[in-house]
Amino acid sequence: MAVESPTKPTFADKLYDKMFHNYVWKSIFRTGYPNTPRNQMLVVATNVFLHLHPTRIHRTHVKITHTYCLGGLSFFMFLGLTVTGILLMFYYVPSVDRAYLDIQNIQTNVQFGQLMRNMHRWMAHAMVILVFLHMMRVFYTGAYKPPREFNWVVGVILLVLTFLLSFTGYLLPWDQLAFWAITVGTNIAGSAPVLGPKSRFWLLGGLQVGPDALIRFYTLHVIGLPLLAAIFMAIHFWRIRRDGGLARPL
Amino acid sequence: MATAVVARPVARPQARARDEEVLVWPDLVFVEFIAAMVFTITLFLLAFLVNAPLLDQANADVTPNPSKAPWYLLNLQELLLHMNAAMAGVIIPTIWLGILAAFPYFDRETEGQGKWFGTERSVRITSVSAIVGIVGTWVLILWDSGKGAYLLNKWFGFSGGDKLRFLENMRAIQSQLPWPEWSRKITYLPFNLKILSSDAPGGPTQFQHLDFPGWLVEQGIPIAALVGLPALLIYSLWKMGWVLTRRDALLALFSGFVGAYGILTLVGTAFRGPGQELVFPWQLNVSEGIPGEE
Ligand code: HEM
Repeated sequence: MAVESPTKPTFADKLYDKMFHNYVWKSIFRTGYPNTPRNQMLVVATNVFLHLHPTRIHRTHVKITHTYCLGGLSFFMFLGLTVTGILLMFYYVPSVDRAYLDIQNIQTNVQFGQLMRNMHRWMAHAMVILVFLHMMRVFYTGAYKPPREFNWVVGVILLVLTFLLSFTGYLLPWDQLAFWAITVGTNIAGSAPVLGPKSRFWLLGGLQVGPDALIRFYTLHVIGLPLLAAIFMAIHFWRIRRDGGLARPL
Repeated sequence: MATAVVARPVARPQARARDEEVLVWPDLVFVEFIAAMVFTITLFLLAFLVNAPLLDQANADVTPNPSKAPWYLLNLQELLLHMNAAMAGVIIPTIWLGILAAFPYFDRETEGQGKWFGTERSVRITSVSAIVGIVGTWVLILWDSGKGAYLLNKWFGFSGGDKLRFLENMRAIQSQLPWPEWSRKITYLPFNLKILSSDAPGGPTQFQHLDFPGWLVEQGIPIAALVGLPALLIYSLWKMGWVLTRRDALLALFSGFVGAYGILTLVGTAFRGPGQELVFPWQLNVSEGIPGEE
């Protein structure tokens, strides 16, 4: 084997050194730019966001067709909805007098307001669809089998929470679509034997969709349910790692 | 010799095959990045092109016709048209979610895990069950809406006459058969049980009565169908030698569910016009409602 003689560092090498080996960068990221296997594993292990992943995974699991990224995309929608949702919260007041006008205002007077509202709406629909498809992919790949039983149960809880998040958000624009959809929806809930009327009353804060219902749905939508969903997602992701990564044939 | 208590191996991380593994950075992070970008761009485009709907301000006095729940609940609203409201809206979905959550406790074999359709015959079972779910649901909806009888007559000139009128749809079983009077008021509890009764409390002591034909149509037949038809599907596939394991049975059940659920959602969304009449999607004109009219 020929011994490589060190070449003089090129301009690119110097630039690289300046950018990724300086004091400030290293204080934030610890590793250099992840261009060696060592650095690549370190970046995944030491970065708070990336460390949801293991440092290495089985070959078959990076194939798009194994997961179609559906779980990851569900989570991505959740993040996107959080961002657009917070922006919408700046302008929206959940009172019967203001809600509808605020939405109109967002659409006409707020910079990019219409865009934010559209994004929030379409992402919400996308999330419902993606979560359902994710459940189908988990089922048809037999990934609920031991030792992943409990994570499937956590998944079913997440499915219900996703529906509830979407449902509570539906009322907030306080237009005819919102009002009647929630009236129909809560009537369905209210028809349950024994507990139905009580739970409907509890959900609406009254006998009809009105101001109390709006504030309840709002509170559930912006804090109660997202918090629950985040907790269950944390359990979900934690369990994936604990159960030895994604399922693969024995 | 010390005997350790052998607990059930809870989390059994599979033996790691290092040479089969790739690094998360760059391989997986790259895939995730692309997926996120594709979705971000698509959703931005969608948001630029299509505005979120905003109708008139909410008004409790103006009822749009039809009033519909959000689309992902329209499957339940569709079910509601065919049976008792509590059953369709609450009891069935709750039980189904329970069954869904119990899947892994029913099928504990690890065979075929981690691979698309990893067991033998699974593609066959899945496609046939999904088709049965789709076609079966359509047929039931057409029948119960009376469209079945109408189309039989229109296309084949077939008419059951008065004798068979009771088969026209579900309600006809209640209204067109000569039920004896007593069957419409069967006493099953000789006292009033408050949680079963929607009457105001404190009224005269009443017996709990059962309107049998009504019960049959609203609950009896739907329960029989919802339990019986999936059972029949699995039984037939078993007889055919397709369903041999618990996994196979779940494949049939889940695929049939996905088919039926899809059709219920589709019909509820795109085929239900004013008065929840069954119409074609292009005839779906929603009436915005007239003030003061239900
Ligand atoms: C908000 C909803 C959900 C989020 C954000 C989510 C997220 C994820 C992610 C990121 C993964 C990693 C693999 C992949 O992307 O497919 C995963 C795996 C998994 N999910 Fe979900 N999920 C959700 C709902 C569900 C539901 C509804 C179910 C089932 C009823 C479920 C069951 C599972 C199981 C069993 C795994 C392990 C799969 C395997 O080992 O191959 N999840 N989930």
